[in-house]
Amino acid sequence: MTSQFLMALSLPEAAHNILAYTAFTFYIVLIISGGLVAALSRILVRALVGLAVTFLGVAGLYLLLASPFLAFMQLLIYVGAICILIFFAIMLVKNTGSGEEMRLPGLGQITGALIAALTPLALFGPLIVLNTNGTAELPIITPLMEIGSGLLSYYILPFELISIVLLVAMTGSIFLAWDKRFKK
Amino acid sequence: MDINLLVVIKLLVSLTLIIVLVVANSVIMVWLERKMAGFIQRRPGPYEVGPHGIFQTIVDSVKLLTKQIILPGNCDRLLFFLGPILSIFPMFLMFLVIPFSPWLTGLKTELSLLLILAFAGFEGLAVLIGGWASNNKFSLIGAARAVSQTVAYEIPLILAFLAVAFQHGTLDLVAINAAQGAWPWQWNIVTQPLAFLIFLICMFGETNRAPFDLPEGESELTGGYHTEYSGMGFALYFLAEYTSMLLVSFLGTIFFLGGSEGPGGAGVWWTFLKTGGLMIFIIWVRWTYPRVRFDQLLNINWKWLLPLGLLNLWLTAAIMKVL
Repeated sequence: MTSQFLMALSLPEAAHNILAYTAFTFYIVLIISGGLVAALSRILVRALVGLAVTFLGVAGLYLLLASPFLAFMQLLIYVGAICILIFFAIMLVKNTGSGEEMRLPGLGQITGALIAALTPLALFGPLIVLNTNGTAELPIITPLMEIGSGLLSYYILPFELISIVLLVAMTGSIFLAWDKRFKK
Repeated sequence: MDINLLVVIKLLVSLTLIIVLVVANSVIMVWLERKMAGFIQRRPGPYEVGPHGIFQTIVDSVKLLTKQIILPGNCDRLLFFLGPILSIFPMFLMFLVIPFSPWLTGLKTELSLLLILAFAGFEGLAVLIGGWASNNKFSLIGAARAVSQTVAYEIPLILAFLAVAFQHGTLDLVAINAAQGAWPWQWNIVTQPLAFLIFLICMFGETNRAPFDLPEGESELTGGYHTEYSGMGFALYFLAEYTSMLLVSFLGTIFFLGGSEGPGGAGVWWTFLKTGGLMIFIIWVRWTYPRVRFDQLLNINWKWLLPLGLLNLWLTAAIMKVL
């Protein structure tokens, strides 16, 4: 919607670009700062709020790509459901009064985390920088009807495979809960 | 001046009007709620400030605005303030896509229902953050109840809306509103009675209103998730509760009761009349029925509303396929 909104303004191209880059920078800053809070905060709930901010930024990027459907789904599922479920999990673990659950990480943990973060960057970074002609000049707006019929015709196999993954996960969780109840 | 600059101006004007509507709604509804509670319990209700106490809420708002904000000891200051703010701000966005009359909408988009559902998720997160940051056992229990309740009741509510969306083949509130006729037998409540029933029950669960107001539960949890809030923090949570009441009433009106359509001409008056009726119904239920137990609350949802919602959705899809 941001991009539709920008297009609706019908400004000269230079101003257009500036607005688009401002929005893009804003969303990127949201994503990175949220991610840093999520990774570095010693309080679990604050880390979760950081994660929610990251999800918001990603939703903003989807808006910039003219796919409001994906953006709203991102908010609905990640902020509205996943974050709340993680919160529930946090409440089930033992809390201290000040909410500081984590010790400061050791040197080995920090190096491990850095390696894990830098490896994908080293692998995919050059590829992304070398092949920058991936996106169209202006994003194309796809009507909702087309997304729906696309998911049920051309993309039916990936769609159904994802459903099977979710089904397996759900069956597994029910199985675990069932076993616990049965032993009582 | 470009004509498209009007789009921006329109959005800003709509947001301003929405804020006015939200504040006016809470001022009126708080007075009406106390007055109706009084009548149901055979007492006059607020009576001293103004004729029949009509200025009572305004005086109360001044009190809330000027009240000292007390921070609970050892609380998480940042999240303590983030909670109430996060509970009210997404609400304004959700009203942008509500069609108050066939042409009076802040933002026309084919994803309007999805937009409302997406931002409704923030409400649960706000309650959780506020309840956790208070560093109080009552608040935490209230927040934990709120999370299991809103997550549970969101599903049948979405299923009820989806059945109507299936019937009309769109998620656009304007289109769903326009697809219904002027007379009551042309409204969606006739074609989707089961969905309307599910919606009516979930409405109370989603807005945390009695008989499903377990997250607050004064007799068990003092004040639930907002036990530690005073002054504006409490006022914002309170505003959010009345605003979510207004929002579900608008949604119920548009989805099931014909929206702005009505005998004698479509218009903003029909939307507000029906919405007001639904809100009075919510208040009436609150002062009539006792609070349910928490296990009962979840059992109603998972064992009745969810299967019924799925059945209704499946029936709707089958009938739409045949027709």
